[in-house]
Amino acid sequence: MNWDGLELSILGPACLAGLLVLSTHVPLGQQVLARGIIFIDLAIAQVAALGVILAQYLGMDEQGYGVEIAAAIAALIGATLLTWTDRKWPDYQEPLIGTLFVLAATGSLLLLANNPHGGEHLKDLLVGQILWVSIGQLIPVAVLSVLLLTAMWFWRGRLSGLLFYGLFALAITASVQLVGVYLVFASLIVPALATVGIAKTSRRLALAYAIGACGYVSGLVLSAVLDLPSGAMIVWTLAGCGILARVLMRFGSGSRTSAVVSA
Amino acid sequence: MNKFAFFTLLLFTFVTPSAHALNVFACEPEWGALVHELAGDAVTVDVGTTALQDVHVIEAKPSLIAKVRRADLVICSGADLEIGWLPQLIRQAGNSKVASGPGYLMAAEQIVTLEKPSKLDRSEGDVHPQGNPHFQLDPYRVLAVAKAVDARLVELDPGKTAIYQQRLADFSTRWQAAIKVWETRAAPLKGRKVVVHHGSWIYLLQWLGMTEIGALEPKPGVPPTSAHLASLIDITKGGNTLAILRAAYQDPKPGDWLSEHTGVPAITLPFTVGGDDKAKDLFSLFDSTIDKLLAVVK
Repeated sequence: MNWDGLELSILGPACLAGLLVLSTHVPLGQQVLARGIIFIDLAIAQVAALGVILAQYLGMDEQGYGVEIAAAIAALIGATLLTWTDRKWPDYQEPLIGTLFVLAATGSLLLLANNPHGGEHLKDLLVGQILWVSIGQLIPVAVLSVLLLTAMWFWRGRLSGLLFYGLFALAITASVQLVGVYLVFASLIVPALATVGIAKTSRRLALAYAIGACGYVSGLVLSAVLDLPSGAMIVWTLAGCGILARVLMRFGSGSRTSAVVSA
Repeated sequence: MNKFAFFTLLLFTFVTPSAHALNVFACEPEWGALVHELAGDAVTVDVGTTALQDVHVIEAKPSLIAKVRRADLVICSGADLEIGWLPQLIRQAGNSKVASGPGYLMAAEQIVTLEKPSKLDRSEGDVHPQGNPHFQLDPYRVLAVAKAVDARLVELDPGKTAIYQQRLADFSTRWQAAIKVWETRAAPLKGRKVVVHHGSWIYLLQWLGMTEIGALEPKPGVPPTSAHLASLIDITKGGNTLAILRAAYQDPKPGDWLSEHTGVPAITLPFTVGGDDKAKDLFSLFDSTIDKLLAVVK
């Protein structure tokens, strides 16, 4: 037991980062699950990383907004490619996403043979260090989240094709650099998976947000108390909160049959 | 400022240094062990990493931030070894005492580092512009760092000057005696050649008069190519090589692979305090390192 780390000023920025990521990823996760393309976030994140490495390979400075722009452009190109494959071979979208993922990942390795400094960035992008987040980093992400949420609300029900893949690519590029791929994957999939079968959209979203928030807060607290790495801990508490929500719904299903599909 | 606040402040300025023991945060186990030698129970030491971790990259844990937050002194190797996480850690801890000035001590700044590049060239891999930061296995540099750390402890905690000075004198005597014993014992190692995993042994090798004839990771941080591995097999076989060296935290697979292809033994050295069962403090770290090297001398 370790009570030292249990301080709002230590866990606060990380918690805010988590809630920001959840704000866009919970609704996007519902889409991702409905389309059955759950590995798209890994693929887009890898393509973004490839963009960063390529930019550095071509001589761009590793500091500053240039890298962010390179990552976003690469992610958008990846999104355009996936929109095209989705239209052309809709039945094979998932295996195509998988192939894009390994191509981007190994493409980075091939480029890295001459650019070791890209390697550190790649690792940061994949593992992420949610505790190192500063408030200054959160401001641009907060602005982007508001824009993305507005766009999602404006085009609600009509979010498909390039629009969906483009918004998704921008959201992932920002969140992966903040918290890493593992947490991004868990934030997208776990709340969506735990709320499958709830008919009413607003109720399903509200519950998914609650599961996400519960996962981040309990994960940060547990990582402080048990002295374990925060990112990995949160992935597990997110899953725990999802299962807990599922169990509670099962018990409550007698009185609110409309809410849950009998499993 | 009103009078009361001023006097309270004045009171605290004089009372706090003696009222609480100095909190020291050491990035690596070797500096934690050194502070323990120099201060004993007079200070509280937190160590950020273990011998089984790669200190270039560490996982962020809330307790690390809490430890740096309460620290009066942060001691790290420096020379960019912790560049990937220490700046963020100090920023996140928001502790101005250790952000710069007397509360911030980089061991590399107290000594002369080796392999300081004359020109900065990214193509050479993961270079450290301030030289190679893995100098904890040179006992003379450790002694130089000990003197600097001790001076810093005195500066930050003058009430215990006598303790710190007496312990430094005691440590220096025992350390210099130990260096003589190590150098005598290590005489058979002189002139022997080794292949290393990563360029982290140069100080030890230079001290013992040994030579590095090849590295598994020629550009640190970049995986080796097949052409490099092929030439490394030839170098290792042809050079009457004593051993393939790796640190406790490094992946054993590349060294074992090379060992299988060449018949040269691969050995795991503790690298820092806690790296094996024997290396419990700085003295036993060197004892164990030399024991393990001598064990493969035929």
